[in-house]
Amino acid sequence: MGAALLVREPSPRSYRPALLGTLRTYGEFVRMGFVDTLAYRLRYYTGIVTYFIYVSVYYFIWKAIYEHGTAIGGFDFPQMMTYVAVGWIIRSLYFNNIDQDLATQVSEGTLVMNLIKPVSIQGALIATALGQSAFRLTMLTLPTTLVLFVVFPVRRPASLLQFAAFSASVVLSFFIVAALNFAVGTLAIRLLSILGLLRAKYFLLELLSGLLIPISFFPRIFQQALNFLPFQYISYIPLLIYLGKLSGAAAWKALGTQAFWALALVALGDAMWRWSSRKITVQGG
Amino acid sequence: MRRHLRLFALYFAQYAKVRLAYKADFFIAFFSSMTATVIGFGFVLVLFTKIPTLQGWSFYEILFLYAFSLVPLGFFNVVSWNLYEFGDIYIIQGHFDRVMLRPVHTLFQVLFEKFRLESLQEVVTGLVVITVCRHRLGIVMSALDDAWFVLMILSAVLIYVSVFLILTCASFWFEDRVGIVPPVFNMLTFGRYPLTIYNTFIQFMLSWVIPFGFASFYPTTHFLGRSAYATYFHLTPLVAAAFSLLAVVVWNRGVANYSSTGT
Repeated sequence: MGAALLVREPSPRSYRPALLGTLRTYGEFVRMGFVDTLAYRLRYYTGIVTYFIYVSVYYFIWKAIYEHGTAIGGFDFPQMMTYVAVGWIIRSLYFNNIDQDLATQVSEGTLVMNLIKPVSIQGALIATALGQSAFRLTMLTLPTTLVLFVVFPVRRPASLLQFAAFSASVVLSFFIVAALNFAVGTLAIRLLSILGLLRAKYFLLELLSGLLIPISFFPRIFQQALNFLPFQYISYIPLLIYLGKLSGAAAWKALGTQAFWALALVALGDAMWRWSSRKITVQGG
Repeated sequence: MRRHLRLFALYFAQYAKVRLAYKADFFIAFFSSMTATVIGFGFVLVLFTKIPTLQGWSFYEILFLYAFSLVPLGFFNVVSWNLYEFGDIYIIQGHFDRVMLRPVHTLFQVLFEKFRLESLQEVVTGLVVITVCRHRLGIVMSALDDAWFVLMILSAVLIYVSVFLILTCASFWFEDRVGIVPPVFNMLTFGRYPLTIYNTFIQFMLSWVIPFGFASFYPTTHFLGRSAYATYFHLTPLVAAAFSLLAVVVWNRGVANYSSTGT
């Protein structure tokens, strides 16, 4: 890939380390993702309202539930509210549409333009999504955080160190979601309409990531099964770190497992892409 | 009226043919969409493993409410496709010119040109879950109740269509896509739980401003034996009629304001 870049853009210093070249290539995709989203910034004002509505619904539900109870599933009400609010806040950051983008590129045929570029499709899509997330951090995540902290009884992170670990954990969540979305998106090549599948994935992720309800609320057998799956590392684990329920060695282990899942899913996406792309037929231009 | 029914049947059959041309694909879409809907119940199912009631509402009552909200939503989703794309396809790309040249009401054409057939699964799933809940709760429905049930579903569909139609009409005045639809669409979630858990402001909003309460909560209270809401229950068809009228008036004013993009 580094070599391909050199061909495209000969520089006076003709030798450049391959890794640096790769980073520059994908850095360009990150920049494009950021700038492209800038054009649609108006939509993000209503995004803040949307997230506010999500959190409001669950605020009232949990308030009604905790009316009499003290702690359920290991959470008291302030912890639960923090869990819900911070859960939606980080969702505004790690969320992306790679699966849908890939499906659109397949159905509109623009995929060809990406096939002829000397980059990995998965890498390019994830880099673009990273740029979009960086954009959302300023236009959506930060304002939403501000509003939610003012309106709802949301607690600050357990400690500065926990917050640092939480931030690293959210970055890993982004890569898990991105790789998962890419893997699902590759199915678009084999199917004509993937929307139903994407909707199923959407609801499945909301539930099994722990975004809607902490994993500790699930029946024990489900909890054990979920330990072997990547989903709870998207939302539940970062939130436990935020709340200080996972710290020290346990937090390190959790971060390590997150990193493992991110890499494993990227590898899975790559394999699925190679399996799916053999089937590509481009319909006209 | 007869002509419109016939046209509707023709539109529907035509679109169904297009969609069923790829049968396997359609069935995958149908079943994956159904899976999505079933997973949507997950929150309530998991929650009630830890709590006995939600503010006096039992598991099967909450489930009944949730399932009831799916039925009109399913019908709405079948026809709402064109509403989402209205600004882009009909106004910006100028397809509305074609619609205006035909001797059928513009709204009729826009609503029924395309159907999201797989959303019918929401209707099916909703009705199945409602039946299970009725058995578990021992609800006996008279013939009159059945008639009310159908009327309530119809009213709820009208409420959903009217609310989103009014929002869609904004495209007649503002060419750029107005981002107000997603937040309002997400307000549907409020209607899936008893209105009583919310504060007065939200209760008022969901009753008289964006009347989603009349599309899910109030209709179910009658079947779940909560007579405290009888007035609201009986008001439902009136609210639906009023909002439909409002939507048609706004639509007609929008059409009068329409000037083609000339493409």
